[in-house]
Amino acid sequence: MGKSTSLERNVKRAPGVYGWIDERLDLTAITEFACAKEVPEHKHSFWYYWGGISLFLFLTQLVSGVLLLLYFRPGADSYDSVRQITYDIDFGWLIRSAHSWSANLMVLAIFIHMFSVFFMKAYRKPREFGWWSGLVLAGLTLVFGFSGYLLPMDDLAFFATKVGLEIPRTIPVVGPFLVSLIQGGDSVSDVTIQRFFALHVVVLPLIFIGVLAFHLWLVQKHGNALPPDEELKPESERRSIPFFPNFFTKDLAMWLITLNVLAVLASLYPWQLGPQAEPASPAPDGIHPEWYFMSQFQVLKVFGKLMPGALGEAAGIIVFTVAGVMWTLIPLYDKDSARAVQARRATWFGLVVLGAFIALTIWGYADI
Amino acid sequence: MNYPVWVVPLLGTGWVVGLIAITHVPLSHFAVGGGLFLPWAERKALREGRRDWMPMLKAHSKFFLILTGVFGVATGVGIWFAIGLASPEGTSTLIHNFVFGWAIEWTFFLVELTTAAVYYYTWDRVSDELHMKIGWLYAASSILTLVIINGILSFMLTPGAAWLSVAGTGNEASKFWYAFFNPTYWPSLGLRVLICGSLAGIWALVTASRIDGYEQPELKASVIRWSSRWLIPAFMLMPVFFAWYIHQVPVEQRGLLVMGISTIGQGVFTQVTRSALITVMSSATIAAVVYFLAYRNPRDFGLGHAVAVLAMAVAATGFTEQAREMLRKPYVIGQHMFSNGIRKTPDVERLNREGYLTNSVWVRPEEKELWAKLDAARVPGAVVPAADPGSQDAQARLTRGELMVRGQCFACHTLDGYRPLRRLLAGRDREAIGNTVKMLYQYEESSPYRKYMPPLVGTEAEVACVVDYLDSLVNVPGAKKGAALAAAPTPVSAPSAGGKTK
Repeated sequence: MGKSTSLERNVKRAPGVYGWIDERLDLTAITEFACAKEVPEHKHSFWYYWGGISLFLFLTQLVSGVLLLLYFRPGADSYDSVRQITYDIDFGWLIRSAHSWSANLMVLAIFIHMFSVFFMKAYRKPREFGWWSGLVLAGLTLVFGFSGYLLPMDDLAFFATKVGLEIPRTIPVVGPFLVSLIQGGDSVSDVTIQRFFALHVVVLPLIFIGVLAFHLWLVQKHGNALPPDEELKPESERRSIPFFPNFFTKDLAMWLITLNVLAVLASLYPWQLGPQAEPASPAPDGIHPEWYFMSQFQVLKVFGKLMPGALGEAAGIIVFTVAGVMWTLIPLYDKDSARAVQARRATWFGLVVLGAFIALTIWGYADI
Repeated sequence: MNYPVWVVPLLGTGWVVGLIAITHVPLSHFAVGGGLFLPWAERKALREGRRDWMPMLKAHSKFFLILTGVFGVATGVGIWFAIGLASPEGTSTLIHNFVFGWAIEWTFFLVELTTAAVYYYTWDRVSDELHMKIGWLYAASSILTLVIINGILSFMLTPGAAWLSVAGTGNEASKFWYAFFNPTYWPSLGLRVLICGSLAGIWALVTASRIDGYEQPELKASVIRWSSRWLIPAFMLMPVFFAWYIHQVPVEQRGLLVMGISTIGQGVFTQVTRSALITVMSSATIAAVVYFLAYRNPRDFGLGHAVAVLAMAVAATGFTEQAREMLRKPYVIGQHMFSNGIRKTPDVERLNREGYLTNSVWVRPEEKELWAKLDAARVPGAVVPAADPGSQDAQARLTRGELMVRGQCFACHTLDGYRPLRRLLAGRDREAIGNTVKMLYQYEESSPYRKYMPPLVGTEAEVACVVDYLDSLVNVPGAKKGAALAAAPTPVSAPSAGGKTK
């Protein structure tokens, strides 16, 4: 038999409007549930906030994105409408900068969240689906970033998109077809903007929200994972705090700090708009994709130099694919603390991936 | 003109002052707010019999003494040293007008420093009553330093009509009190007092965060909650004082603030709006974060949290000061002296007539003579002759142009660093550079530069040399000397009467 709700238990409710709503929607049951939920408190607790920060930045994306939609005109008018938003409309620059900066911060927050989950071994049983759904969300976020980057259609956006599309083009057999499908022809054009726009504001959000709901349900179901060194402690030595109000208020404070960082970045370094894209003109010097694609770009560049032609591209794709598959399947390899060798190897693998990502990104920028 | 030009490559002189100020401003405001916080907290502890607060207060007063007495004082002296070099004309005007005010401030400052040390070293050595008196004496003297310095700082933005009516006559000191209690004095004082109170609370949170919340939960909760309350007045009253302050700012300066609402164009001057936005957003965030992290969760409030709050407070304070400084543009003393030290009246008219370098005490007489001779050799109107790049005339023109640019532009610009002239002019040919210089020289009412840049002053010949020099910077890379003159000449006509500054 299921637990009875507070409606059925005839709980004493607060007076006034809240009490009236509570009586009908049973909000007390939610708060009771939240108060009963515990969040572990230890020296690594800081990393628990990054999932929430990623979520907050996604919400910021939604709100600022809807505001941009009021003035943005996809297609041939893209550039003009973004110019208007940036230079004519009151606080248009702020909304656009907040949208662009929060996109970058969201990618960063998701990366931090993903690596912290990895090193805290939070992918182990029963959290495997949490890990996989998180990876899907990370992948979708990168596609969000890529599809949004083209929309202003200035020269940087145009050529960076062209460069970025070179990565999927290298996928054997389906690559060229896929790229042609995405860009709506042989080259990046107004049609590409329309397609990227539809992807960016309709298709991706729908998929993302669905996967996000599943991910959050899993987090709720399994709770926060303890890092291995905390797991070793006896139950009596472990500390925890109630999710509500303690963790919730701290989470809110972290969201506010994130908002403040976003506000400072958007105000200090507002997103500029370059000259309108001229597809016929040569690409400006040093064109490169956004920072989160830089490591892949650099790998392709290096393999291209070592093995010119299709061989280099194939080698690059093989490296990505193998690393991606290993990264995805890690919960099936490192299953629990009892298998120390696997646990150690998984940690080393994570360190190599993190180190390679950082080193290749820095190398990529130095190599421009 | 009257003083040598201080050139700081890449950084610029403004940022030297700015970097020192970023450290000094939060510390000096903490010195005032913390001075009030300590005796007040001690009084509360004594009245409520909370002896357990005393070790924390003693630790806080030591931290306070080191921070304000060492770093606050050193950076304060550093600011004076730096502004004397960066803006000697402006500093000289302030000293001539406020020497009496400064003498008073220094008296309070000496009392403040002494009592701060005495307060710390007499913990547990004198009676509670006497210790409290020392604390209150410190609080009073530190607030009075703020009361004085605020008059001088706010004067720089809004000297007021009374003082402006005697500015440049030599009788400026006769309007001392008008200048001191200028239009932005009271709102500015209110804002600063509120900031001082907030910073006092925030710095106290830093000290209190180090109390072990599991060992002494009650002590930590009581100190943190009481310290958090120090932010409430600022949260409630700051919008009121801010609105009052903005209302008192001259319309021209307010225009600069409004400009950045719709655009991020117009160079870095829309930064004023963005800095003001950061102030507003950070202040609101601080209040909310302190509530959620400290007030609601005092036991778990750690040093990392406190440092995060402090970082936001430093950012908010820093950007407030930056917005205030930029709001003054194009002046260093509102409506009186431009940011490059040139007075609106009578300097602009006189220097346009007699020449900028002609009036400089740092140019050798023989050079002045040579330049006058070279100018006289030219046909009037044909300002820039196509000369042999290697000729004495060409070299002299570049030298004069460089001296003009150093004297009139380097207060805000550098060649390749902050607000870099080379990059700002990049892509412009000689004609376009000539047009920009012309706009600055003629300084018409419709000129977009009027909002934030001083007029360029000097004779037509001197201004033409500026074009030569700037053109040589941008269009002849690696061959600065001489070659620029091979380009087509650009006539620069004198400002019309209507285009002069008023």
